[in-house]
Amino acid sequence: MTPDDPAAAPSLGVRIGALTLKNPLLAASGTCGYGLEIAHLVDLSTLGGIVTKGLYLAARDGCEVPRIAETPAGLLNAIGLQGIGIRAFVESVLPRLQAHNTAVIVNVCGETIEEYAEVARLASQAPGVHALEINISCPNVKTGGIAFGTDPVMTHDVVAAVRRASRLPVIPKLSPNVTDITVFARACEEAGADAVSCVNTFLGLAIDVESRKPKLAFGTGGLSGPAIRPLAVRMTWQAARAVKIPIIGIGGIAAANDALEFLIAGATAVQVGTLNFSRPNIYAEIEAGLRDYLTRHDLKNIQALSGTLQYPR
Amino acid sequence: MTVASGGPPLDRLCALVKRESLGGAYALLTFEHEEVSRALAGQFAMIQPEISGDLLLRRPFSIMDVDSATGRFTIFLKAVGAGSKAVFDLRAGERARVLGPLGHGFSLPAASERVVMVGGGYGVAPFALFSRVLKPSPPFHLFYGGRSAAELPLVRELERRGIPLTLSTDDGTRGEKGRVTGPLVPALSVGEGTVRLYACGPEAMMHAVAGIAAEREIPCEVSLDPWMGCGIGTCLGCVVKIQEPGEGRPRNRPACTEGPVFDSRRVIWPQGGPA
Repeated sequence: MTPDDPAAAPSLGVRIGALTLKNPLLAASGTCGYGLEIAHLVDLSTLGGIVTKGLYLAARDGCEVPRIAETPAGLLNAIGLQGIGIRAFVESVLPRLQAHNTAVIVNVCGETIEEYAEVARLASQAPGVHALEINISCPNVKTGGIAFGTDPVMTHDVVAAVRRASRLPVIPKLSPNVTDITVFARACEEAGADAVSCVNTFLGLAIDVESRKPKLAFGTGGLSGPAIRPLAVRMTWQAARAVKIPIIGIGGIAAANDALEFLIAGATAVQVGTLNFSRPNIYAEIEAGLRDYLTRHDLKNIQALSGTLQYPR
Repeated sequence: MTVASGGPPLDRLCALVKRESLGGAYALLTFEHEEVSRALAGQFAMIQPEISGDLLLRRPFSIMDVDSATGRFTIFLKAVGAGSKAVFDLRAGERARVLGPLGHGFSLPAASERVVMVGGGYGVAPFALFSRVLKPSPPFHLFYGGRSAAELPLVRELERRGIPLTLSTDDGTRGEKGRVTGPLVPALSVGEGTVRLYACGPEAMMHAVAGIAAEREIPCEVSLDPWMGCGIGTCLGCVVKIQEPGEGRPRNRPACTEGPVFDSRRVIWPQGGPA
């Protein structure tokens, strides 16, 4: 069958800059470990790719417990980027991950611009890393993280530094905790980003009324899950109209229709996050739903759907 | 009923085949799930109803009993919050998402050892299965404590299984009055052979049992129960501080994949420890 064959199955393949994904479904950073943790429950080769847990140069212990609290249709977390560090990832995880035939996107963290650049350099040198996502939006660390993602000049500088340190596609992950996300999407584009991930968690606070203390040991946390989906779809739509680079939509995706909302709003690919915790094998269901949608709407490929929102004038 | 030996976890949508109320917020729920029916004592499953509404996360439940011949397993459940209440409210025939068996169970004692189990509240559940694994030897005994007689709903079931029991309640409405560690301490110095302790229950109880074990240099395993999000080591919500012998300082380890059962000497307790 040729691509023009009317009987050909619709294509789910997408391109994010130089990165080609077999389908638009990625597992979000912080929800799939380093990939291997979920490989016995989901066939990683059926995913477009995985985004690793955030990696600094060194291993980190993260926050004290309690680290998570469930809220209506949401999850508030302050894990604090516990992780094994980029070197341990490259040495002990990456070789085993390569056998799973999926795109590996390393989530790059740093307390300083220099650290971001060094983590990016080490990740780029390793065989089997396909792209870098820059974490400028973690709300649960005291240094770095969200500080880089809520100041457009710092956003620009950290993205430019990673850009210089790597030839891989560079994908900053935007914080939603800003007044105008288009300012940050543009800063990333100007600094040489290949795409942006949209969005990280919303800063939240849950309180135990008996003790009058926050439910999380860190205090505030990041809210994720279906509760944030309309906010994230709106921000994806705004960002997509502001920049030419592709958007990866993230926020409470729990079904094919949720993924479709992000794509129609302007995303090229999406990440499934919180739902990995409760439905590790949800990808097959979403992928089947996407195929069914393309067939029903007579679309040859999923890229044709991106940004087709019929918004009232 | 048949006990088998572990195996990799699987996520299944499976039917609740039997529901038995034990009064109040307590119930026994039996599901059909081949892999979990081969669970080891101390392992757990993550469960949520098929239709879970706005509740996102599954809840962890210790396996109380298994029958690998029929592919069934049973949990002993107390409805404490919205998540466990949703599972508690399931009716026979309704379906739930069940992922398991998960985690590491209790290690088996040597034939020469005497097993002492300490269960507090709904933490007693895994000792029903563990007792079946231990039979006919080595000898074992279960100390089962709760706040009041109404909070010891599993007594009849444990007696039916012929498990030697010592009961205690905080208010004295059943068994010895006071903490479960009250009758435990004198029992440790009576009887033949060396003792191996196993504890599952509220953190304060396990901390106390770990302290008793440390003082007497008795090997002791505790099944820790921090807030758990995923059960598979990805959310890192359920970490506990563990000091491994070769490491310079304690590390945050996910209880779901590296526990929930730990050697009590390795646990760094929030209360300070080992008491």
